[in-house]
Amino acid sequence: MNFEETLNSGKFVVTAEVGPPKGTDIAALHHDIELLKGKVDALNVTDNQSAVMRICSLAICKIVLDHGAEPILQMTCRDRNRIGLQSDLLGASVLGIRNVLCMTGDHVFAGDHKGAKPVYDLESVQLLAAVQGLNGGKDMAGNDLLGCTNFFQGAVVTPEANPLAPQLAKFEKKIRAGARFFQTQAIYDVDKFKDFMVVARRFPVKVLAGLVILKSAGMANFLNKNVPGIRVPEDLIEELKAAGKEKALETGMDIAARHIRRMKEENICDGVHIMAIGMEDKVPVIMEKAGLI
Amino acid sequence: MIITRKKNRKELLETLKKFNNFFLIGCSECATLCGTGGQEQLDELKGLLEEQGRTVKGVFVAKTGCQVLGTKVELKKFKEALDETGCVVVMSCGAGTQAAVEIFADKPVYPSNDSLFLGNMTRLQMFDERCSLCGECILDKTGGICPVTACPKGILNGPCGGTKDGHCEVSPEIPCAWVRIWERMEKLGQTEEFKLMTLGAKNWSASIKPRKLNAREEKK
Repeated sequence: MNFEETLNSGKFVVTAEVGPPKGTDIAALHHDIELLKGKVDALNVTDNQSAVMRICSLAICKIVLDHGAEPILQMTCRDRNRIGLQSDLLGASVLGIRNVLCMTGDHVFAGDHKGAKPVYDLESVQLLAAVQGLNGGKDMAGNDLLGCTNFFQGAVVTPEANPLAPQLAKFEKKIRAGARFFQTQAIYDVDKFKDFMVVARRFPVKVLAGLVILKSAGMANFLNKNVPGIRVPEDLIEELKAAGKEKALETGMDIAARHIRRMKEENICDGVHIMAIGMEDKVPVIMEKAGLI
Repeated sequence: MIITRKKNRKELLETLKKFNNFFLIGCSECATLCGTGGQEQLDELKGLLEEQGRTVKGVFVAKTGCQVLGTKVELKKFKEALDETGCVVVMSCGAGTQAAVEIFADKPVYPSNDSLFLGNMTRLQMFDERCSLCGECILDKTGGICPVTACPKGILNGPCGGTKDGHCEVSPEIPCAWVRIWERMEKLGQTEEFKLMTLGAKNWSASIKPRKLNAREEKK
């Protein structure tokens, strides 16, 4: 079963992600893919994440395929105009990549090439519409394609956005533009996430809750202060503090596993997306703690 | 108006050091309001040049420095001084400088300012960029606030994931354009419109440079 079929089968789906490195040494990446393959249902490959220049997502998606795992091609609108994006989508299609996650992308200001010209010829909603068009055999200019694509396209949503109303309006626009699954920004407040899911469940889309492993109370405070759309509730920060330095990571993994277990048992969403950010070896541990493997 | 900022004076004087006789042209419109090309700034640069033993043959604040023919006519009365001038320094915007380039075919023309953006004056000598001159106005669809300009990504269908408490990921000093648009449309009772509207990819061919407009032709 491929990722789309697994989602539709009603199984509680797990995705994780790998971040391509800056440079051509991909030994660690091979290791991570092997480690996660067979355990998670699909692997996101980030696209110059945080606007830091790295190997392109497309090439690493192909490597994920070669390992026998299923990639989700993350595509941002920051670095390519509509010609480049559509061209890469056609390229992804012929390489056998089926899943694409459409995002606007962090501004170059966040990255390591601050003087670069940000493109944003399109944004997430328009990129989704472009994918929908290619699936239907037309490019954005209305030209016929010689062979169309067959993408399973998704998008991201931030349930903790403040203010939430315009974010929800955009969520609906993404669905109208063809998004079929969503991966969310990191969720730490499951009760609040349930409120979001009440809205999301009105639409025929699958939602995977994003999870970022908390390593310490300091990290939680950093996320709250600096990262848009993430809110770690005080009680979790207290829990991490109480665990002490040595046990903080273990506690962070317990928190993630506890949240996954609850989301699955209460059928809150369709699965989870675990963003390990350099701790890919912890993903199977969390899955085990959550009773998924 | 066109917002300008004075170039670093030390660097400007270095650029101008190969000339001895100058004529300074300001502008009574944008550059005067920006404090970069009014009478006061012309006199200031004149003083700096004279301190270095150079001669300023004349200074003049043009009515509208970007208007080529009008400025040419205004400058007629300075013919003698201009004949003795080795270098014209224009103290307005890039358009004003290039009007002088057209008027003085055989003289070097230098800018004293950097031209920044099309701006609104919010308070005295404080300016905001609100319009990018994209060539296809969408303010009718976005509550009268331009996301092409007010959002660093120029995105067209709502806030990105970088909004934090109504501010932009690029800088906490930038209010999120799409939160502003939402709040304004909410006040106007237009949230349904906001939700239902999806703007397609922008047609950038409307702003291919250099642009030209013949309004006379369009009147016909």
